[in-house]
Amino acid sequence: MIVALVIIWGIVVVLSLQVWQRMGVTGLTASSQSAIQQFKGLMFRLPLALLMASFLVRIIPVETMTATIGPQSGLLGIAIASVLGGILPGGPMTSFPIALIFLQGGAGIPQLVSLIAGWSVFALHRLLAYEAPIMGWRFVALRVLSSLALPLLAGLLAQVVVLAITFY
Amino acid sequence: MKFTRPDYVFLFLATVSGALCYVMVGPGVVLEATGDAAWLLLIILPQLAAGLLIGALLQRLVSREKITRTLGEGSGIHGLLLASLAGSLTPGGPFTSFPLVHAFWMAGADAGTLIAYVTSWSLLGLNRLIVWELPLMGWEFTWVRILVCLPLPILAGLLARWLTRISVLALAKAPAE
Repeated sequence: MIVALVIIWGIVVVLSLQVWQRMGVTGLTASSQSAIQQFKGLMFRLPLALLMASFLVRIIPVETMTATIGPQSGLLGIAIASVLGGILPGGPMTSFPIALIFLQGGAGIPQLVSLIAGWSVFALHRLLAYEAPIMGWRFVALRVLSSLALPLLAGLLAQVVVLAITFY
Repeated sequence: MKFTRPDYVFLFLATVSGALCYVMVGPGVVLEATGDAAWLLLIILPQLAAGLLIGALLQRLVSREKITRTLGEGSGIHGLLLASLAGSLTPGGPFTSFPLVHAFWMAGADAGTLIAYVTSWSLLGLNRLIVWELPLMGWEFTWVRILVCLPLPILAGLLARWLTRISVLALAKAPAE
C-alpha cells in the first residue's frame, strides 16, 4: 500500500516536472484546475458509493455458497465460481485470503481460476464504488457485457492446462 | 458544485442498501459499515488525488491527435496490445486507475482500448500479482492463472469494439477541451 502510494506520487512529480518544463507554471495551474474540476464532480458521488458498497458487503452471504466449487464440480462449478468471484467483497487483502481457504479446502484449480478471474473482472464492490461514479453506467454496462464470458473461458482454459499437465 | 442526477442515483442506492442492512443485520452493523466507509474514504483520498492529477497532466503532455492515433478506434490490435501492457503495469487501486481511464477517454481513446486496459489492470496487474497472489496462492497456481488470462484483455477489447455498434452501448464522444 505504502509502496504503491510512493510510486504513484513519484509519477505525479515526474509528470509535473515535464509539464512545467514545456509550459511553465501555466501548465501546472491548468492541470490542477482540471483535476479539481473532476474532483468536484465526485464529491458527493464517491462517499455515497463507498457507503453503499460497505453496506452490501455485509448482507451478501458468500460463505454459504462455497461448498459447491470442488475439483469434481466441473463446468457447473466453473460457472458458479465465476459468479461467486464477482460478488466476493473487498479488495485483494480480503479476497486472496478467501481464495487461499478455498484452495486449502480442496477447491479445483480451474474453479479457482474462474473465481479469481470473476472477482478481478466484475468486482461488484469496485464497480459500484469507483467505476460507476467515475466512468458512468453506460461504460460499466459495455465493459461488463464485453467481459461476461471471460471468467468461464479462463476456467475452461485452465481445465485444459490441468489435463495437459496430468497427461504429460 | 451541485447535486446532479447521478448523485441522486447513488443517494438512492446507498439508502436502499443501508435500509436492507438495517433490517437484515441490525443498526450496530449499519454504524460499523458507515465507519468503515468513512475510513476507506480517508485512505483512498491521496491515491484518488494522484490519479486525477496524473490524468490531467498526461492530457497536457500527450497530444489529442497522438492518443486518437495510438489508442482510438482505428488503432487496431496494436492499440489493444498497448492498452493491455499499460494496464498490467499500472500500480495502485481503482481510485488511481479509473481517473486515468477517464482522462484517456476524454483525450480520444476508444471503448475497446479503455476496456482492454481495465481488464488487463484487473486480471494481470503486476502489482497485485507480486504483493498478493504469488505469496498467498503459490507459484504452481499462479502460473496457470496468468497463462490462461493473458489473451482475455484483448478479447474483451475486441468484443467492446463490436458491441459499441449497438447504439445504446456506444460511448459518448469526448467533448473537446
